[in-house]
Amino acid sequence: MQAGTLSSFLKRGAIWGFIVLELIFFTVAGEFLSLSDKAFMDVDNMLLLFKQSAPIGIIAMGMTIIMVNGNIDLSVGATYAISAIVLLDSMTWPVFAGLGDWVIPISWGLALLTGILLGALNGLIVWKTGVDAFIVTLGSMLGYRGLVFMYNGEQPTSHLNWTLVDFAEAQFLGLHTATWFLLIVTALIWLLMNRTVHGRNAYAIGDNRTAAINAGIRVGPHMMINFVIIGFLAALSAVVFYSESGSVNPNDGELYELWVITAVVLGGTKLTGGAGSIVSTFGGVLAIQLLRKGLAHIGADTETVNLVIGLILIAVLFLDRQLNIKGKEELKV
Amino acid sequence: MEFRNALAATTVSVLTLAAAASAQAWTIGITQNNVGVDSYQTTYEKAFIAAAQANSDVEAVVLDAGGDVARQIAQMEDLIQQEVDAIIIWPTNGEAVIPAVRKAQKAGIPVIVTNSNIAEEGFPFVASFSGPDNITQGSRAAEIMCDKFKAMGIENEARVVQISGQPGYTTAIERQKGFDDRLPEVCPNVNLVETQPGDWNREKSQKVMEAFLVKYDDIDGVYAGDDNMGVGALNAAKAAGRDGIIFVGATNFAVGYEAMERGEYWGSIYQSPVDDAEAALQTAIDVLSGKEVPFLNYFDTPKITQDNMGDFTKPVF
Repeated sequence: MQAGTLSSFLKRGAIWGFIVLELIFFTVAGEFLSLSDKAFMDVDNMLLLFKQSAPIGIIAMGMTIIMVNGNIDLSVGATYAISAIVLLDSMTWPVFAGLGDWVIPISWGLALLTGILLGALNGLIVWKTGVDAFIVTLGSMLGYRGLVFMYNGEQPTSHLNWTLVDFAEAQFLGLHTATWFLLIVTALIWLLMNRTVHGRNAYAIGDNRTAAINAGIRVGPHMMINFVIIGFLAALSAVVFYSESGSVNPNDGELYELWVITAVVLGGTKLTGGAGSIVSTFGGVLAIQLLRKGLAHIGADTETVNLVIGLILIAVLFLDRQLNIKGKEELKV
Repeated sequence: MEFRNALAATTVSVLTLAAAASAQAWTIGITQNNVGVDSYQTTYEKAFIAAAQANSDVEAVVLDAGGDVARQIAQMEDLIQQEVDAIIIWPTNGEAVIPAVRKAQKAGIPVIVTNSNIAEEGFPFVASFSGPDNITQGSRAAEIMCDKFKAMGIENEARVVQISGQPGYTTAIERQKGFDDRLPEVCPNVNLVETQPGDWNREKSQKVMEAFLVKYDDIDGVYAGDDNMGVGALNAAKAAGRDGIIFVGATNFAVGYEAMERGEYWGSIYQSPVDDAEAALQTAIDVLSGKEVPFLNYFDTPKITQDNMGDFTKPVF
């Protein structure tokens, strides 16, 4: 076996191994600890797993590109909340009063446009000022959240449209609407990362920015496109989720950036950029939701869930580091 | 791999704390708003678990949404999938959870809303609401105040100001309505001169009271929509050196209880998270055993004054 192949196989496969471990653990523990007569691996429960992974998962796909770039976006939670407000509020605007349910696609469009604009703003600042994305999006996280509170104060913004709810609750070929969105987004971003020049460039820039510039890649515009993508996906995530719930609290989406980053890191994407895989991110997203679901299934409380996720995150990074060191040693031989 | 196994082992040991499952009559799931954000909710959870354990007919699945609507909806879906017998929900958002509540109702699982109700659009999908009756709280506050005025012999001349909760909040509107309607019934000659919102905020309430004190030379009573605001008003009166004002609040807070101990604050309405939790569980049990349960199933929130405060333990929040 070639040097490094084993470690990269382990790294790629680690998240899936972990998921299998979770499944086995919760199935066995569920037999003893759960109050439910249903097995943890029940088909309906697994279908729900995909559906409930969608809000974090859709954003995580965008975050993977951003992090492969060597950047980070902390403003996704706030973008998510603003897009949700635009979605729900625009349905009640008098301008669209005569449209009936045709207001739905328009509101979707407006919400997605909001996400694109906010993402573009982040990207533009990163591009033109050269300030680190961490700082820029830390600022916009606070600023965008400020906009959310300016909009409606502490009050929730609500509009319940049953046509929309019915659409969002529908199941096509057994899968929920939200699951379809998650799968399609995953497939498209996978294609983007693996089959297009843009995707290749993303890895090149994250790996060695100077070399990428020397190779003639226009790094600024490239990064801006990625911020537009993640802004769009944050808005899409809001569209998918709020179609089914119809009311947004001003603090909704808080800490989403951290859950998203956790999922991406669990999937093996490096914080320093240059490496990462969409499929593994998908695994990371599933692993987190599985953990939340499983721990609730066997009767652990929320604090335990957060504690366990935190421990696992550190364990994964430690494992990743160990494997990398091993890989280097093998190369030296 | 060893590391992961070790981790799994740790997880197991953490979870042995959870009670083992056994065959029971009813499984009741609860998804709470945000345990740990304040001591009311923390006490509520403890009381709920204790009440469920004390009842051999009930196994409780206790979940906490951590204030996150998405997580609460996912928990509702999970409880439906697990086919629990009833679901109790403390809504993180009175409107966002309506579709999830409808889902439970469609699956034939009765839903009981606890503490704060969901929006009216969701009423058709709910079996019962268990929580405090804020109109009664308002009218009881009026009675406390009137009784005190009678004891002082000023029931024919007293002047009262009111500091209400945040405009738009059902709780604020209902408490004000209860007070406004009941006061003229019990003390027809007491004059309610002005009502201003204090937004549930102690500092805001203090400013409102400062303005009242400048405007009116003679104030005999202050009704505040909760003790937090009541204590704010008390502080304003103390700073201005105005004695002899009767302060009455609602939702007895620890600060209010302490001010009552010092003799500066007359009374309030005692709302216990323990009663709140036990009422929610009892409502669920009554619904499951087929008893006739009123749609708005209130638990009692008694009057507390300096005279009877020894009967109540100090609130933890």
